[in-house]
Amino acid sequence: MKNKITKYYPLIPLLAAYLLLLLIGKNISGMWQLVAMLIFYCAMGQAFNIFLGMTGYVDFGYVAFMGVGTYGMALAITHLSHIKGLGILIIIIGFALAIVMSTLLSMAVGAVALRLRGAYFAIATIGVNEGFRFLIEGARIWNGSEGLIFTAQLNQILGRETASSLMTFWADIIVLIIAVLAAFVTLYYMKSKIGYALTALREDEDAAKVMGINVTKYKIIAFITSACFAGLVGATSWALKTPYVFPPEVFEIHYTIEAIIIVLLGGAGTLLGPVVGGLIYGISKYYLAIFMPGFQLLIFAPVIIIIIVLFPEGVVGMLKRRVKGSALAKFII
Amino acid sequence: MILEQLAGNLIQGLVLGAVYGMATMGLSLIFGVLKVVNVGHGAFIMVGAFVTLWLFNTLGINPILAVPVAFAIGMGLGFIFYYTTMQRLIKAPELATLLATFSLGILLEELIKLIFGSEFRGYNWVVGKINIGVTVFPMAKLYACIGSALIAVLLYLWFNKTRAGSAVRSVVEDSEGARVCGINVGGAYALSFSLGIGLTVASGVLLTMFIPVGINPYMGGGYTLKAFVIAVLGGLSSPYGAFFGGLVFGLIENGSYTIFALLPGVEPFALTRFLSFVILLAILLIKPTGILSRK
Amino acid sequence: MALLRLENVTKRFGGLVAVDKVNLEIQPGELIGIVGPNGSGKTTLFNVISGVYPPEEGKVTFDGKDITQFPPYKRAPLGLGRTFQIPRPFSSASVRENVAIGAMFGTLAGHVNVDDSLEIADRYIKLVGLEAHKDKEAGGLTPVEKKMVEIARALAMKPKLLLMDEAMAGMNPKDIDNMVQFIKRIKEEEEIAIVSMVEHIMRAVVGLAERVMVMNFGAKLVDAKTEEALTDPRVIEVYLGHPPDEKKWKSEVWKEGKDSDG
Repeated sequence: MKNKITKYYPLIPLLAAYLLLLLIGKNISGMWQLVAMLIFYCAMGQAFNIFLGMTGYVDFGYVAFMGVGTYGMALAITHLSHIKGLGILIIIIGFALAIVMSTLLSMAVGAVALRLRGAYFAIATIGVNEGFRFLIEGARIWNGSEGLIFTAQLNQILGRETASSLMTFWADIIVLIIAVLAAFVTLYYMKSKIGYALTALREDEDAAKVMGINVTKYKIIAFITSACFAGLVGATSWALKTPYVFPPEVFEIHYTIEAIIIVLLGGAGTLLGPVVGGLIYGISKYYLAIFMPGFQLLIFAPVIIIIIVLFPEGVVGMLKRRVKGSALAKFII
Repeated sequence: MILEQLAGNLIQGLVLGAVYGMATMGLSLIFGVLKVVNVGHGAFIMVGAFVTLWLFNTLGINPILAVPVAFAIGMGLGFIFYYTTMQRLIKAPELATLLATFSLGILLEELIKLIFGSEFRGYNWVVGKINIGVTVFPMAKLYACIGSALIAVLLYLWFNKTRAGSAVRSVVEDSEGARVCGINVGGAYALSFSLGIGLTVASGVLLTMFIPVGINPYMGGGYTLKAFVIAVLGGLSSPYGAFFGGLVFGLIENGSYTIFALLPGVEPFALTRFLSFVILLAILLIKPTGILSRK
Repeated sequence: MALLRLENVTKRFGGLVAVDKVNLEIQPGELIGIVGPNGSGKTTLFNVISGVYPPEEGKVTFDGKDITQFPPYKRAPLGLGRTFQIPRPFSSASVRENVAIGAMFGTLAGHVNVDDSLEIADRYIKLVGLEAHKDKEAGGLTPVEKKMVEIARALAMKPKLLLMDEAMAGMNPKDIDNMVQFIKRIKEEEEIAIVSMVEHIMRAVVGLAERVMVMNFGAKLVDAKTEEALTDPRVIEVYLGHPPDEKKWKSEVWKEGKDSDG
């Protein structure tokens, strides 16, 4: 019994960090915007980490899942808003739709890409976000390149006041919940057979196969999980905070880049890495934007290179080494 | 009349394809020798475009002369990046080189944005048109096509007739064996990487001869995907395969655009780009080593 | 019934025939050695048996099942284990985690959870004498220690047949003797058949194997009881390049091998 509880100790520093963020955001005026942004980055990073961190494969088209999730919520709101009395149920349907669509897209991409090894996988995924965007624009589905605007429908469903508080506060809380859920699932995977299989295939895919591990199956599990959380983040952070969706915006490779920075900086494959990475990146970007706007990628691109060459384990990875054998080791993974 | 149009279309596709193909040769070379996928490929093409832009608009140097300059710059960049970063990542997992080249691409985009700004630029190189019977061609495009074919031939000669080229070929076959024969494998890697980057930057010049507008720091992204489709078509490791893959791709792209433009209710440009992505997935599904390769 | 049967197995790489119509039968609990000079096709044969690639011709049957086309991950739960010539532990995982992976996905897959697997891992770690290192990262161990991790991991799979690929490469004679004793011990205790592949460490082969198959140019040259196989003039010719002085061979090499036995 004791064993079971100690398994979840690493969540404590995670929850503590988020609690601190919440307190700062609510009590210091003007900080909520920054806190909301940090929560977004942590959530995006946590979801991305489930795949990149645990399998060692880079999905360059990652943002596609966030975009698809955004569309899921947007479509639910746009098409169901006229049904009276559904109210908040529509938002729930929106989440469900986001999960379904992310799952479908990840299964479709995964069916091709996950059979491929490292470099070929990267090639296969690099066009996914663009490809999907051009499908929407090219075939003019879901209103094509004009996108969807649903501020009015959102007001209609929830009433102006609720809608407003959703957009400025409650959506961020939901993103926070998603981040915590993603962390929970990450930890669960890590401690279960799935985690062991993923570690094995990340280290040495061929040896893993000989050990009896069906690597494709586990890659798919990680891939779909990561995609679903990405979809939920998109549905909330994008659709619910800013009630419109334009294809070029929600399929921009920029977000994938940021996710990569966050996960690598914090420590790929660690539980706390995305939080640390999200905080460092988010805070840097926020303050850089004040003094040198538009510069953050110029600074972080060489940072990634330096991390890859000199500190591939990231911040949390290095911390893990330091605390090895001590009492803290149970909390930092 | 229709036949003429079709023929004209075909030639357009081939000419563009030659340039696309040449633009992909560097990618295939780097993968073939170092087994590294240069995910930042498009950014280097963009650098070539800006070199052309700057040389033309600021110094009045015509694009044809910009090609060797761009090539030299590319080789320089390649050497620097190889010796500072890539060399240390030989033993690292694949993930590392993918992310390193990706980040390099981003760095280049941001640097160019810093220096030149993010507006769309272009240049105006007036060299007239030529009538080749079925269609009228801007001379610039023809130069670009000829230039591409020329470079492909030069590469072939280099690989097969020079000592350095043969050394690289033997490294590809068997790096341990080459090492034992006294070949400087690390040097071969550095040379191949730099050559690949040089080719890519030079191709940026040729591409602007084809499309001298819309030059901006983020123009590379679209070309990266196209390059991957072409590279995979031609067999990821073979620069010549890439060239022919480019021809095929040029035909497909042109042809599909024409067809899509005839369909109601669709956006032909966007749909064509979606199609190239589908082709990529299809090839990876059926024959990842490339439809045109012999493996 | 034979535990492993290879019927006319042929593997080609382009024009090169790496394995040429090999027939082999291994009974449960047997300890056999496969020897042959460099390039004789031993490694390819191992790869075909463990499923790395399918043969162009022929059939591989394990425990009554036709596994010729099975991918590697399907063979492990049936009881086919393998160690590699150059050990391949999962570097960033601890020794304990490495061995536990063997338990989780081997013949016990589906019947044990993570905690059970860790317990099983502890048992085998003790067996190979790595208890002191059990929480260390596998990547930081010495080559010999890594080898033991490999073996423990393979044993944790509870295999019926263990393919050992050059398990004694790079060892000095004393270590080889220890390893020979160790392998004999695990064969008895774990009740598994072991196929040990060695290139030229006759000391090990003689001390270990009941039966020896000698390969040359991808084909089976000889398959007989150890003494018979190794003193067969054809085999000696393959190694020495010329017909041997039988008496000299028997007295020198044979004696050296016998020394390592007990």
